[in-house]
Amino acid sequence: MITPHRLSVKFYFEELSVDAEAFIPVFHRWIRENVVPNELLLDVADYKHILDGPAILLVGHEADYVIDFTDGKPGLLYVRKQDLGADLSNALDTTLSQALNGVKLTESDVELQGKLKLRTDGATIVLLDRLNYPNAASNGDSVDTAASAEAHLSDSLAALFGSDATVARVDNDAREPLTFELRAPSAPDVDTLLSQLGTGN
Amino acid sequence: MSNIGWKDVLTDDMPVDLAHEIDIFEGQMELMGQGKLDEKVFAETRLRRGVYGQRYDNGQRHDGFESRELEFEELDRIKGPDTLWHAPGMQRIKVPGGGLSPEQLDVLAQVADEYSDGILHITTRQDIQLHFVHIEDTPDMMRRLAAVGITTREACGNSVRNVTCCHLSGVCRTEVFDATPYSEAFAQFLLGHDDVQDFGRKFKPAFSGCESEACGLVMMHDIGYLAQVKEVDGKLKRGFKVFVGGGLGTVPHQAKVLSEFTSEEEMLPLVQAVARVFARLGEKRNRNRARIKFLVAKLGIDEFRRLVEEERKTLPHDDRWTAYLDTLPQYEEKPAKPPTFLNGQVRSTEFNQWFETNVYSQRQEGYSVVTVNLPLGDLTSKQTWELADVARKYVGDNVRATVEQNIVLRWVSDSDLPSLYEDLKAIGLGDPGAGTIVDITACPGTDTCKLGIASSRGLAGELRTRLTAKSASLPDAIKDLKIKISGCFNSCGQHHVSDIGFFGNSRRSGNFKMPHFQVVLGGRWRDNAGSYGLAVGAVPSKTVPEVVDIITNRYIDERAKGETFQDWIGRIGKKEARGMIQPFMQLPAFEQEPDYFSDWGDPRVFSLGDIGIGECAGEVVSLFSMEISPAESEAFEAQIALDENDPARADALAYSSMLKAARALVRTQFLDVGDSPDRIVEEFKTRFFDTELFFDQYAKGKFGQYLLDRHQNPNPNPDNDSAHRLIEEALLFIEATHACESKVGGNVLVEI
Repeated sequence: MITPHRLSVKFYFEELSVDAEAFIPVFHRWIRENVVPNELLLDVADYKHILDGPAILLVGHEADYVIDFTDGKPGLLYVRKQDLGADLSNALDTTLSQALNGVKLTESDVELQGKLKLRTDGATIVLLDRLNYPNAASNGDSVDTAASAEAHLSDSLAALFGSDATVARVDNDAREPLTFELRAPSAPDVDTLLSQLGTGN
Repeated sequence: MSNIGWKDVLTDDMPVDLAHEIDIFEGQMELMGQGKLDEKVFAETRLRRGVYGQRYDNGQRHDGFESRELEFEELDRIKGPDTLWHAPGMQRIKVPGGGLSPEQLDVLAQVADEYSDGILHITTRQDIQLHFVHIEDTPDMMRRLAAVGITTREACGNSVRNVTCCHLSGVCRTEVFDATPYSEAFAQFLLGHDDVQDFGRKFKPAFSGCESEACGLVMMHDIGYLAQVKEVDGKLKRGFKVFVGGGLGTVPHQAKVLSEFTSEEEMLPLVQAVARVFARLGEKRNRNRARIKFLVAKLGIDEFRRLVEEERKTLPHDDRWTAYLDTLPQYEEKPAKPPTFLNGQVRSTEFNQWFETNVYSQRQEGYSVVTVNLPLGDLTSKQTWELADVARKYVGDNVRATVEQNIVLRWVSDSDLPSLYEDLKAIGLGDPGAGTIVDITACPGTDTCKLGIASSRGLAGELRTRLTAKSASLPDAIKDLKIKISGCFNSCGQHHVSDIGFFGNSRRSGNFKMPHFQVVLGGRWRDNAGSYGLAVGAVPSKTVPEVVDIITNRYIDERAKGETFQDWIGRIGKKEARGMIQPFMQLPAFEQEPDYFSDWGDPRVFSLGDIGIGECAGEVVSLFSMEISPAESEAFEAQIALDENDPARADALAYSSMLKAARALVRTQFLDVGDSPDRIVEEFKTRFFDTELFFDQYAKGKFGQYLLDRHQNPNPNPDNDSAHRLIEEALLFIEATHACESKVGGNVLVEI
């Protein structure tokens, strides 16, 4: 399937005992120390004044890392914006591996270690491309596209997160981008997932 | 599926002319990519499509320790001078009069999450800005906006910018008449007009329905229209009092009256004549003197008016001048619901607090305007389409952005107010305090602006948090004060017209720079930005919350009954005002207060570029620091002289303060310069001006020219206006002297 314009994955916090503000110096250090492989990190944006929104952004050229509180559900949102690959499969692999790397970096960060934990047994995946992946509720091509994307994601993610992993389309507003929820009760840990994606240590 | 783009999908939805313009822009992008367009030409081209630069787009970023190169791909590919193609930028979206429909909000939300960081930012001129946008995404973004009637054309660049209009027009209790349809006709007439394509700088128009309120801010615009009705031949005629040559920026100018009454038939030909005069006689080479305010000041308003009147006579007739008048009778806003009343409904305390500050009772009985108080002017994509649904439910198309970075919902049927409040609260947009001291305006500053010196948004966020926490206990006397913050002297945060304003600058302490804010007191928001405040001194950024407390507490304690903040500042005088902040002007060393050397929300050690090294730390200050201090004092004395209605003395002191600052700078290289003004100016010119060491990266030699001009052409009869201007210039010259010394690095130290 065609590469979406943007693709995002959000992993949710199981524990979070620091304020959003604590991520600002961490992200600045990540930029300075160039900790993310294959990505150019640019700046940190502070939106913590917005209620239940993207509180702190680590803005990059290829991707953004967001400490995101949308819908009151704190998580680490990874938004892939550039160099997604040749098709949806490539885009998903790239996005997942970089997002999981972000999870690992966050959990192991010297200033954050022990103060937070992200879970891998679920995630939200968004195809930010209303042209090629419309989120229409009506019958027609758009529904077929959404169903095809759902099947594609299901196959890919089950192979990675375990055979009991399920992907379900979120019944959200048609103006929102096409969104899927991953549930993976027996998901392996981050290192294993990264290893399976071929990007682990 | 893969070969179909937005261009194909939206062909039937876009106005043909807009679609064509976007195709042309896309073509120009391709030519630029092939190296077939001059970089400056392309830069102006994209600016006129609202595609703006953003901080770090030169590929350099200071990480708190050193400047580092941002390794974008294709580093040799640019989209303008010193601007890398792949660096993300800002997209400004024009919203005439701030008017938005729910359908437009939906699309704005969608392009924000697909092409930017998912945040929509309302500007102080009713525009919407998206940040971190890649240039390749802009044509499709423009197409999606065009499909719902929005253009980004001439949102930036040397053109007619967004036409602003009071957000209460049409429902205001004090207006003469609704200026909205006139502002719309004006915007439509000038968009892409041949006579507005050759300006040396931007041109900002504003419309207001009444004189005493602030909403239209006509006095601070390049051209401003104030609704008037005049009896002509026994009939009441609509028209406007027209102002020209106002502006904030580095040196603020109050607009002058171009015409006491211009009839509605003459509104468009008059501005066309003004545009022609501005294009023909306005400065083109020196962009720092190119706004129309400089032309008006140079010619004088009488000569400018004469030229405009002569130009008007030569204009070939255009049917569009009056065609819009035929549409006026049909212009009306349709409320979504019939009028109702709030009587008898149970109100929560929370609702009452919100009602008190965020609800304006319309002139039309049974309806209100609700202000959605946006923190720092921001809302998310998700909030935007949720707000669109709220608008559909309660007010339909009656939504406008405001110059205080909020959104208003007009024509709310009064009995809906409690449920509307609950709906806004549910989407995180139910904050009370609209238009009060907690509702702080701030430009983007160092967050994203290339010109930002200090973090205006960081400071605004901090002040908002602190003031909101104690808002319930704030005395009524200060609840409605305006705080406005700019990240630099360019005034995008409109600090000149607030009660308490701030603009970012920096000072050096030892080997480090410290973010500062100049404190500007006593500006007047009311009366359409009726008067401008003056700077009383610079304080470290981290002390600003305490400075606000000190100033507001003193006002609470000392104000006479009914005395406004401006009147109080006027009564105590600027010397006393400066005395309030004086204790905060002593700069600690880095070792004493390291936190002072980083900005709000940004832990990096503060820098304007490279951090100075090599000077002795500890109990030493440079000779320059010792000698610049009297210059600052003298500039301050000049302000007091102006307060005392002594423009000649004010003029002399302002000039003397510039000479002192120049001398301090010269003496970092040449100790024996002496005291002769001619010699000081000569040495300053030779060593710092001609060598461009004194030049600001963006303002170039503008600030140095202030001294050269005043030295060469003293004003024999200074009046209050000219003295005021010279004081502003002296303050900027002194700021530039600090910046130059920081850049060059003083090398003469004196122990104290």
